[in-house]
Amino acid sequence: MEYRQIQVIGGKGNAPGQFATSLRGLAVDAHGQIFAAGDSGITVFDTAGSVKRRWATSRPPLSVAVAPDGAVYAGQLRQIEIFDGAGKLVNTWRDETLLGRVTAIGFVKDGVLAGDAADRAIRHFDRGNHRFRNNIGKDNPVHGFLIPNGVVDFAVDAHGVIHAANPGKHRVERYLPSGQLLGHIGRFHGTDPAGFGGCCNPTNVAVRDRIYVTEKAGPRAKVYDFDGNLQAVIASAPFDPNCKNMSVAVDRRGVVYVADTVKLAIFVFEPVTV
Amino acid sequence: MSQPVSRRDLLHNVVRGSVLATLGGGALFLVQKAHGQVVWQVDAARCINSRLGDTGAEACKLCTTECVVALSAVRAVNEYAKCGRCNICPAYFNITSAVDEKGLPSEKLCPRDAIARKPIGKADPEDPANNFYEYVIDEEKCDGCGKCVMKCKEPLGLGSIVLRVRYDKCVGCNRCAISRACPKDALMQIPVEQALRPPELRPRTE
Repeated sequence: MEYRQIQVIGGKGNAPGQFATSLRGLAVDAHGQIFAAGDSGITVFDTAGSVKRRWATSRPPLSVAVAPDGAVYAGQLRQIEIFDGAGKLVNTWRDETLLGRVTAIGFVKDGVLAGDAADRAIRHFDRGNHRFRNNIGKDNPVHGFLIPNGVVDFAVDAHGVIHAANPGKHRVERYLPSGQLLGHIGRFHGTDPAGFGGCCNPTNVAVRDRIYVTEKAGPRAKVYDFDGNLQAVIASAPFDPNCKNMSVAVDRRGVVYVADTVKLAIFVFEPVTV
Repeated sequence: MSQPVSRRDLLHNVVRGSVLATLGGGALFLVQKAHGQVVWQVDAARCINSRLGDTGAEACKLCTTECVVALSAVRAVNEYAKCGRCNICPAYFNITSAVDEKGLPSEKLCPRDAIARKPIGKADPEDPANNFYEYVIDEEKCDGCGKCVMKCKEPLGLGSIVLRVRYDKCVGCNRCAISRACPKDALMQIPVEQALRPPELRPRTE
């Protein structure tokens, strides 16, 4: 399995569609629209990479996710802002304790999941009334998530299983929404690309037909099957060597989007049949 | 009757205590020096080994080779508040060496074996990768070669290990040999009272 780079979206600058200081989160909706959390707002690109909309958030966004009903959730410090698809603010969900630093958001049946990097946990809330249900990955089995990078990242598969990056353990762990740990893939290796290198990788994860991850130092994007077998190194060369916490998203065609946090660009890769 | 200690005072004392503990004998030396005097110190933002953006470069060893003091008056220091306490520490292990039966790199990075590690907190005996580790640098072994500093910095590590002039070892040359050799002018003279402050409270030099 191989991938080829087909597009670069954004980049550093002040022009429309560019990012001046930060690019932290990516999401792709069912229509292939790309949502980027960067600077002080959310930018929406169409599949061709053209800017469709941009709107400001009240605090710099750390993550973005699109709910099945099209609502756009922007994770921030101590709050999540919820917008409709046009960028109109629908609700501001504040929680000083449970939403410390929201670096990832996901959805399960009737629940919302928020990765709180301040407390190294995934919070599970009722989607309707935002009532807290349970933590995921905290103190499981002893220390929970070891995240020296300052980001808790996870993705939810079609069966509602949560795949969470646990970089300090060099794993992607699988959890039920109840918090039960099902297992993991991954191991440390400093040279074998099938392993996760450095002190703490992978940093970010996406899931669809496979598990997609990004690593830091040296930065690269990779894809694994659900048994943990490496399928491909998607790319490493285009990324700035100093970047880390590269958000990754994948659309239903299997096209992979990776946010370079130094070049402030979204690199787009498509699978190539060989 | 004793005065109640405010949270602010308590934090102040903790910070002050940790700084003094970090500086060790150097702190005692400094407080004995008269106000108005200057001491040499490494600016981490200039030092090639610790400044950001030099990913993949070889460590600069001029602090080791140029200092007139045996081993060097510059030593590596781990600022514990920043340390990630990782299982696979790139400053402790040679992370590209072969992986052993425990899943750890088989070689250490430090040529003088000056870094020790031990599990901290509640350990998970079934799963060593699930533990935090404390990394302590043995000053008497360290020669300030900077290899661990280079590997600890972002993005590979968190930049908790930096090079510092140890004031109890520095002989205070008027023209520091390291400062003359340093290609980045990272050795500079700062007032004694500034040297006693935690690095994050020092005035910016750039």
